[in-house]
Amino acid sequence: MIPRYQRILFWVLAIASLLMALVLLRGCEQAREKLTRHQNETPLAAPVATASETVRLAMADDGDGSITLVDRDVALPEESTARARALLTRLIAEYSFKNSAHPLESGAAVDDVFLLDLPLQPPVAAGSKSPTQPPSAASDLAAGPHVPGGQLAVINLHGSFADHHPSGIEPETLTIDSILGTLYASFPRIEQVRFLVDGHPRDTLNGHADLTRTYTVVNTANKTAQPAAQESR
Amino acid sequence: MIPTRKFAAVLLATVAAAAAIAFSVHAQPQIQLPMPAPQPTAPTSTLNHNLILLDPAHGGPDPGTTFSDHTLEKDITLALAARLRTALTAAGFTVVATRDSDPSDPLTPDQRAETANRTHAVACIVLHATATGSGVHIYTSKLQPPSPDEDAYPSAYVPIPWESAQAASVDQSHRLAANLASALTKGNLPVLSGHAPLRPLDNLMCPAVAIELAPLLNPAGDPTSPADSDYQQRVGAALTSALQAWRDQAEPQAQSAQPSKMGAR
Repeated sequence: MIPRYQRILFWVLAIASLLMALVLLRGCEQAREKLTRHQNETPLAAPVATASETVRLAMADDGDGSITLVDRDVALPEESTARARALLTRLIAEYSFKNSAHPLESGAAVDDVFLLDLPLQPPVAAGSKSPTQPPSAASDLAAGPHVPGGQLAVINLHGSFADHHPSGIEPETLTIDSILGTLYASFPRIEQVRFLVDGHPRDTLNGHADLTRTYTVVNTANKTAQPAAQESR
Repeated sequence: MIPTRKFAAVLLATVAAAAAIAFSVHAQPQIQLPMPAPQPTAPTSTLNHNLILLDPAHGGPDPGTTFSDHTLEKDITLALAARLRTALTAAGFTVVATRDSDPSDPLTPDQRAETANRTHAVACIVLHATATGSGVHIYTSKLQPPSPDEDAYPSAYVPIPWESAQAASVDQSHRLAANLASALTKGNLPVLSGHAPLRPLDNLMCPAVAIELAPLLNPAGDPTSPADSDYQQRVGAALTSALQAWRDQAEPQAQSAQPSKMGAR
């Protein structure tokens, strides 16, 4: 005869096992849903075949601190923001190749690029014809365009890219100059650039280069870090 | 006697009333008087030709670059600053550093700039180290100097924007960088010069450069780490000799105001 307390213990353990199995199954389902949600590659728009075109990339070299324009054949989308993002993604990908002169870790670097017409207008409240006050900090900092139609590019970088970027004044400055030079060569309307990291302002790229300022897009090729002995001021 | 007392009382009251009226007239706010506007004067800020400011970057919870041998940039910059301080003091300079240890709560870049701007140093040296590149990197601000037709030091009392406080000194910073580069080259150290978007460089009102030590490539052997004491000693000696020459070249500046933090991000 099995004692009563052993029978009770058996049934309690059996029910506990069943409950744990159910929790485990539910957890697996949730994890699978989470993974499939992030890897959803369902096309939102019909793919459009685009021909390759020659673009100029401002490539950095850690050895002599120079920026050199090189030509690459790349298929880029037509839409401006997607085009800028694809171009910068290609630029950073070049640095992850073997024997790169400015080695960066491979992986996604640019999350998105937003192009805003200059001068920036303060946000207008719903139902109001006048802009809300006070103007945003961004509108304070971004000056008007030098030419009509000038734009501000807001580049949103991935946090993992910034965190794993080589730390130092030289590598961080070269990366920023490379981005500015590449935008200068392919996007004549972009006059200013601001950087975000994971959607938020960040003080530095990885401890050195200032990301809080608005950068002016200029031709950075062959202008940075010339050997001091040959530099004439 | 009574008339005399009355007379004295009346006299006393009259004197008191006159004094009260005089005091009240004297105490009128000055803004009610048509006074001419005070002429602003541009205070002349002379550089202290015997004072060098050293800013060993990073510190505390901010380690900076981590090298392959687990050396931290904040320790290298502190060691280099200590060596440089010794050499500069021996050369007759007074040295002020933004940190002499590794505090748990180091100064922010703005606080470092505030410290530097109060010293009126003849040169402000920001020290960094990196594992990328080779030799000694010398950087100055990316700010442009004021155009010739633009009065860098206007007669009116105009606050200087915090973000561009270095603009008025950037020409001197370029000359200082060229002098330092020349001295390092004479010391057989490879040098790379450029401009960098680096804080607090843009907020400094003194001739300012950032010195970044990178590994020293050796043709036959492993590169010399920036943590190497001999390497730091060579760099310190070259910088000291250049700063001794710079002491007599730096020009005093007239400054219209202290930089204003209005609009600082």
